[in-house]
Amino acid sequence: MIWLGFDIMGKAFASCILIGVLTGLMGVFVVRMRLSAIGYSMSHGAFAGAALGVATSNNPLVCAILFAFFVAFLIGPVADKARLHADTITSIIFPLNMALAFIFLTLTPEIGLTSQVANVLWGSIISITNSDLVYMITLCAVTVSIIYFVWKELFSIMYNRKLAEADGINTKLFVYLIILLSGIVTTLSLKLVGGLLIYALLFNPASTALQFLEDMRKVIIVSPLIGVTTNLLGLYASLHLNLPVGSCIVLVSTSVFALSVLISPKRKRRVEGE
Amino acid sequence: MNNRNTIINLDNVSTVYEGERRAALRDVSLSIIENELVYVVGPNASGKTTLLETINGLLKPFMGSILVSGLNMKNHGRRLRAEIGYVPQDFMVDPGEPYLSIDVVMMGRYGKIGVLNKPDERDREKALDSMRLLEIDELSQRPMGKLSGGQQQKVMIARALAKEPKILLMDEPFSNLDPESKRRIPELISRLHEKNRFTTIVVTHETNRLMEACRRVVVMDNGRVTADEAPEKALRALEAGT
Repeated sequence: MIWLGFDIMGKAFASCILIGVLTGLMGVFVVRMRLSAIGYSMSHGAFAGAALGVATSNNPLVCAILFAFFVAFLIGPVADKARLHADTITSIIFPLNMALAFIFLTLTPEIGLTSQVANVLWGSIISITNSDLVYMITLCAVTVSIIYFVWKELFSIMYNRKLAEADGINTKLFVYLIILLSGIVTTLSLKLVGGLLIYALLFNPASTALQFLEDMRKVIIVSPLIGVTTNLLGLYASLHLNLPVGSCIVLVSTSVFALSVLISPKRKRRVEGE
Repeated sequence: MNNRNTIINLDNVSTVYEGERRAALRDVSLSIIENELVYVVGPNASGKTTLLETINGLLKPFMGSILVSGLNMKNHGRRLRAEIGYVPQDFMVDPGEPYLSIDVVMMGRYGKIGVLNKPDERDREKALDSMRLLEIDELSQRPMGKLSGGQQQKVMIARALAKEPKILLMDEPFSNLDPESKRRIPELISRLHEKNRFTTIVVTHETNRLMEACRRVVVMDNGRVTADEAPEKALRALEAGT
């Protein structure tokens, strides 16, 4: 069964790279556009969707994506139409998602916290399938293409949304696009670290890159590299210490971020200037 | 006033900020002629900034209409904003901002370039030209957060000029400048206005150079236009508190 071991490891390795790229890229937009609370809600929305899928014997991934879409729709256009502040809507949606997830699980007590549900909660790298990898590769290609084609609009919105609007850019459209893409990326990353830890993958690499770099074009390249590196280091630590992969990845990623804060030249200059 | 030459027309416009009951602009009617240079003065919270943000469509009026170049701002906002240079009042950025000043200036052209199109060498040259005009071209590769308040203000003016706007709206554009720049930049704006013939509206607190700066001053108080006169009369109206 050595080939199976390699197969699982190969998939684990590939998914660490692909998810590192995806969350590293999307994290830059989520952090710079101050959508952190939104990322938080989306990941729990995906978890609720996956729980619904498990409870109704449907594909948890498809249900998680549909639920994430629904949450994106609530956070984006519906909240705008109702003139609700992002903080307000995410504060309402986050507990709602968790309440729904637990109701879905309670409705089917025979399932409870079975491995399928636990996989969504905590992640399970060995349950990553070839189809998951195909989805991730496709999403990587789509995400990189979108960023390439509308980079100048995203670049400008990340600097200052009001000024971008004043320059004639349809900022709403691009912010919704980022919310939607973040939802899909979050959903596809659930199997690696699970719904409760996924936002660390979104925020840590981008926040780490921002501690050092003074040009956003470099940030968008370095953040995915940090994402990939910390994912692989986390996987390596997990294999050697026999600990959960998701937790190890988050611990490595958080440690790298903490280290970056300590040695950040930008931070030092700021402290000296005070 | 000749209708053919009116580039901005506000007709009984009232604007209110979200979550507030009191209108920030009340029944404002104002016509600005093409190529005109108009200064807007008035005490704090008199509606000067609201006026600019309403003209460029960032704030939607709850009453009245705004026509820019004959088009209704409500229906053609983005298209019109791509032709309007805007220098905001609040622009200070965090010291760690990962943006080079040349990039910030280039952004002024993004709406004009259009979605899916990439900025080219010509756009970069335009951005550098406007930085040269303000004598900040040597700062082009420096991060925005590392510049002083006055330098950042010049970058924002360069950003608006790089757009090659038909209309230039400037909100307190001289407030952070050093005394020498405070003298030179308004002169530069007047000179550029003469040369490029764009319509310019400048909101300012500083009334000491109004006489030499323009021929028309709009005085605002409590959300209303209280005087719309030549500088000497407007200044008298301002002092009288009308």
